[in-house]
Amino acid sequence: MSRFFRQAGDSDSDTDSSEDELMSSGDEAPPPKTSTAKPAMSRFLRTAGSDSSDTSSSEEEESDDDSDAPKVTKKSPFLKSDSEDEESDGDDESRAGVRIMSAQEKRLAEMEATGKAMDNALKINDWVAISNEFDKLARMIQRQQNMSEPVPPFYLKTIMTLETSVTNTLAKEKEAKKKMNATNAKALTAMKQKVRKTAKEYEQDITKYQADPDGFEREYAAATAKEITAAPGAKASTTVSADTGDDGFQAVGKHGKTMLLTTEGIFKSLQVVQEARGKKNTDRAEQIRILEQLLKVAVTSYQRIRVLLALVSSRFDYNSSTANYMPIDLWLSAQREVDQLVAIVASDSSYSIQEITEDYDELVERSPGTEKDGIVRVRGSIISFIDRLDDEFTRSLQNIDPHGTEYVERLKDEKVLYCTICRAQAFYEANKQDEPLGRVVMRRLEHIYSKPDPVVLALENAADASDIKPALTLASNGSTSELIHGLCVYLYKSGHSLFRTRAMLSHIYHYAFHNDFHTARDMLLMSHLQESIHSADVATQILYNRTVVQLGLCAFRLGLIKESQAMLQDIFTTQRVKELLAQGVHQQRFQALTPEQEKAEKQRQLPFHMHINTELLEAAFLVSSMLVEIPLLASIDSEELKRKAISKPFRRLLDFADRQIFTGPPESTRDHIMQASKALQDGEWEKCRDLVQSIKIWSLMPEAASVKEMLARRIQEQGLRTYLFTYASHYITLSLSLLSRTFDLPLRTVTSIVSKMVWNEELSASLDQSGGVIVFRRIEVSRQQQIALMIAEKINTIADQNEKNMEHKMGGAANWGDRNDGKQGEKRGEQMQERRGKREGTRGARGGARGRGGRFAYGLGNQMARRT
Amino acid sequence: MADYDLSKTIIPFLDRHLAFPLLAHLAETGIFPENEVQIAQYELASGTNMFDYAASLFRQIYSNQEVPKEFDEKRQNVVSMHETLQQEAQAVLDVIENLDVAQSLRQDKNQNLHYLKEHYNLTLEQITALYNFGKFQYSYGNYSGAADYLYHFRVLSTDADLNLSAHWGKLACDILAGKWDTALEELNTLRETIDSRTPSSLVPSGNGSQAVDPALNQLHSRTWLVHWSLFVYFNHPQGRALLLETFLSPTYLNTIQTSCPWILRYLAAAAVISTPTPSSTNSIPLSSRVKNAVRDVVKVIQLEGSQYFDPVTEFLMQLHVEFDFEAAQKALRKAEKVVSDDFFLGEFREEFLESARCLVSEAYCRIHQRIDIGDLSERLNLPRDEGEKWIVNLIRETRMGQDAKIDLEKNLIQISRPPQPIYQSVIEKTRGLAIRTQALGAAVARPGIMSTNANTTTTVS
Repeated sequence: MSRFFRQAGDSDSDTDSSEDELMSSGDEAPPPKTSTAKPAMSRFLRTAGSDSSDTSSSEEEESDDDSDAPKVTKKSPFLKSDSEDEESDGDDESRAGVRIMSAQEKRLAEMEATGKAMDNALKINDWVAISNEFDKLARMIQRQQNMSEPVPPFYLKTIMTLETSVTNTLAKEKEAKKKMNATNAKALTAMKQKVRKTAKEYEQDITKYQADPDGFEREYAAATAKEITAAPGAKASTTVSADTGDDGFQAVGKHGKTMLLTTEGIFKSLQVVQEARGKKNTDRAEQIRILEQLLKVAVTSYQRIRVLLALVSSRFDYNSSTANYMPIDLWLSAQREVDQLVAIVASDSSYSIQEITEDYDELVERSPGTEKDGIVRVRGSIISFIDRLDDEFTRSLQNIDPHGTEYVERLKDEKVLYCTICRAQAFYEANKQDEPLGRVVMRRLEHIYSKPDPVVLALENAADASDIKPALTLASNGSTSELIHGLCVYLYKSGHSLFRTRAMLSHIYHYAFHNDFHTARDMLLMSHLQESIHSADVATQILYNRTVVQLGLCAFRLGLIKESQAMLQDIFTTQRVKELLAQGVHQQRFQALTPEQEKAEKQRQLPFHMHINTELLEAAFLVSSMLVEIPLLASIDSEELKRKAISKPFRRLLDFADRQIFTGPPESTRDHIMQASKALQDGEWEKCRDLVQSIKIWSLMPEAASVKEMLARRIQEQGLRTYLFTYASHYITLSLSLLSRTFDLPLRTVTSIVSKMVWNEELSASLDQSGGVIVFRRIEVSRQQQIALMIAEKINTIADQNEKNMEHKMGGAANWGDRNDGKQGEKRGEQMQERRGKREGTRGARGGARGRGGRFAYGLGNQMARRT
Repeated sequence: MADYDLSKTIIPFLDRHLAFPLLAHLAETGIFPENEVQIAQYELASGTNMFDYAASLFRQIYSNQEVPKEFDEKRQNVVSMHETLQQEAQAVLDVIENLDVAQSLRQDKNQNLHYLKEHYNLTLEQITALYNFGKFQYSYGNYSGAADYLYHFRVLSTDADLNLSAHWGKLACDILAGKWDTALEELNTLRETIDSRTPSSLVPSGNGSQAVDPALNQLHSRTWLVHWSLFVYFNHPQGRALLLETFLSPTYLNTIQTSCPWILRYLAAAAVISTPTPSSTNSIPLSSRVKNAVRDVVKVIQLEGSQYFDPVTEFLMQLHVEFDFEAAQKALRKAEKVVSDDFFLGEFREEFLESARCLVSEAYCRIHQRIDIGDLSERLNLPRDEGEKWIVNLIRETRMGQDAKIDLEKNLIQISRPPQPIYQSVIEKTRGLAIRTQALGAAVARPGIMSTNANTTTTVS
């Protein structure tokens, strides 16, 4: 309000505009009565003459803190030369007032802005805009009155100017004839009525104002100033006494304007800030600044804890919308402050921050001595800050363009975040608070489980440099696997089932990532997660999918083609790979997502650096499918059997490629693989190998060279098998040495492969050792015989189905018709698994999709069992 | 060959007393320095009440030192304890051995207890004296005596924990006393008890009182059982087949995979040994699980290849997964040594070799049409003459059917295996259908099912 009075009162009002940007917008407001106001004011202020020097010095003082202080110091001489002492005093108060009542201040600024807009509109004769602005202004005034504050003279003035200009324009309009368009004219008449009405409403005030503008303004100033002086006045006395202990100059300088920001008043101002928190018109930036000041004057640990708690939460409040992310500098300072907080609490065990405490008086300073058991308990929660920090970090990564430098810059902040987390972990370890410790450890684990060793090393080195260290560090454990193992074991023991699940998955992911396929697979199978994962929350399901996919990639890298194919199969049959891995939103073809769903989906996305490259994934899947499917295709000759594909996505692509009339040189990964498959079918394993090896995406794989070598070998072997299947009918005998030469394989390997095929009855042939040849036997199957075989098979399936149904009805427990046959028992086990898998399939679309992702683990089990 | 010795891995899963035979065996084979084995034996013995044995071992190791005095002191204690425990136990035995009592005892344990209390003033505490005395006897090596007391205790007591402990004790006694038939019985009942998943702790006395996860506990006791049962299975005449039956059942297979993959050696060896050979003319019909044992075991070995690996498993892997006969031959040579050195398998060396040869030749013949006899003998680790004899025997035993002929002129075996006619395979495929359908029909007709069906329909509607 004091701001207002200056606005109307004189032209120099902008001297204190250093306060904030908004205010300065009012600087250009026309100063009508400066000359008259001056003498009156100076008279009034003579008594307080000495204040001016105080002010200026305090202004200078401020310059250390305020970024825009230079402006202030520059202007203050001008201010003094005008001998506007009262003005500067008011300035002080306003400053104080601003500190307290930033809401009011903001309203005033808004009003001024509106007034300015109106002035602008007047100049261009835009009555529509004027009308709108006026309405806005009227609303604001209404609010002002609701809060029982006097009508500011600024408003009255505006009404008066409007009245004159309306009449003027109307007069002009009559003469000029049809110069205005219809809407504008309409707005003008509406405006005329509105102004008239308002003028009537405030008739009394206006006449008073017209009679004695200065008097009115003074009255207004007095009304508002009263409120301000009341509070600081009381405080000032205490501050002076308190500050005498400090550096004298500073004390005098300070208490003039930053009275509130003293050690004594900390709790009061804290309370004021806290009360304003969450209200609609609170200026959050302003609050943060106040708290920062408070932190500077805070002396005792208790004060600092209190201020830090408030400061960090208000930083988090700064950005209320969920769609956006927290500004990075804010995040960084929040991170530093959380660090400080942890440092304070960790260094002094007599302070503790708890979520639930007994009630205490917020306004009283406390110390270990005043408490009963010597421990000061403050309400607050470090763990929620850490959670929030981490979440904000992820959110910012989600929003920043991953291909820009900004992303990389941002990613560097992970190091400090990781340090903070480690520090918090150390703190909780020392305090033996298990619940938050579990959360912190989980956060830490999530930062490192998917990262390669050098990155973890870098993070750990940073954390190691800190003064507070957790029990588990890379240095103490020796290797990343050990570290992760240690963290996971802690979480397994913590008893929190969600953490246990997530830790388990992260652990498996880590093993898979480090090519320890067997351990990872055994852990996954032993965890029985595939049975319960459908009821888990979405984030965990995503983690599960990631783990499974990583395991598949791991199998691929190790050359376990079948396993890899079986694992990646499920996720690829859904055709929603990206969505299931939370690396992109799926385009719904038939129904659109609701905005909420879309938002939720977006929030779920993983930051780019955690992505598993889907193209690489697809390449791995298709190549392993090729290696499994092509020999299989070659081995079956009846049309009926051909329909049963192991890998449907691959078969689809292959069929599509078959239908192409012209095939150009391969471009995409898929093209490469499709052409390679065709080459393999034709027995041209060299071409196939070259095509597969020329896929560029392999370079993203850690051990690209060895993987390529492995692939070449597999292609040779499968090429041999395919060749034998395809051309067996054309030979009576086939020399092994020829095969060995053609496929560039050692004779021993060829013999081994052929033996395997003979043993498994895939190939009706036998070896002639003395001649070194394969002797083929051909069995001609007549149509009738073939059908007979088929029907026998079908009957068997029906019998199986019946038994399955029966068992279902019996609930599985009763062992009907148990013939004490071990094999039967085994079979039943398999059936049960299959059934379970089926049931999953029938779940809702989403659940079903996840279900398929989960069922693969069964598929894996079966696959393993079936392998011979 | 010390690399492949499993004693060290196995002993932690055995009772103190059960480890003695293993160490004695090690002393015989001489894989490890004799001195070390003796020290181990001494340390083992000093934890028991077998002072004389311990003292004699001590003298052997430290021949120039005096036997510590504590042995004598301990002996005094033990003797006096023996007196008191025997008196307590005798009181109970007197009652039980009374003919009247023996007749009036029934199945119901609670009733028995009631009866004994009423007529002879015998309480549960007194009965526990039997257990204590049995355990005590066991601790100084009187196994058969201990077995008796523990048996009586088990009949009478209702305390589940102690009963189980007595179970383990009795099994150990029977094993050490060499009564394989009773041990087998004991083993089977113990297995049932464990599988029935009693919530109370199942681990034998000593570390049983911790409140751990029952599932984990069950795993522990199964692991123990697996190890203990090796004694029985490799000594009982029917043991190998039973071993396959037990260890290949899903629960025990899981146990082996999870906690003790080294048992795979015994599983593999048992599978090899129990494949029928021309020389073994046993007429006992084998169950399907045993028949397919080799196939199943190969699957498991393949799965667990990353966890456990030794020449025995390697042999099977090379033979049935890689079909690399050369490597299989090498592995077999190594496996032979491992088997002969192994405490459990040592006695079966010949059988193992014989069966292994059989497996090799079977696989060889199935894959080949014409086989060079010399080559085959080499694959079998046999000199040429013996190999020929062996092969002739093989053919005579008609294991290879009538399709194999020896062509001595070219030194070849000719195998002509006509392909299976289609109708034959159709018959094979449809063979079991009738029985299966009958079983299904019987199950549907059973009255209990109708009610469950009704239940399910009501819940559905």
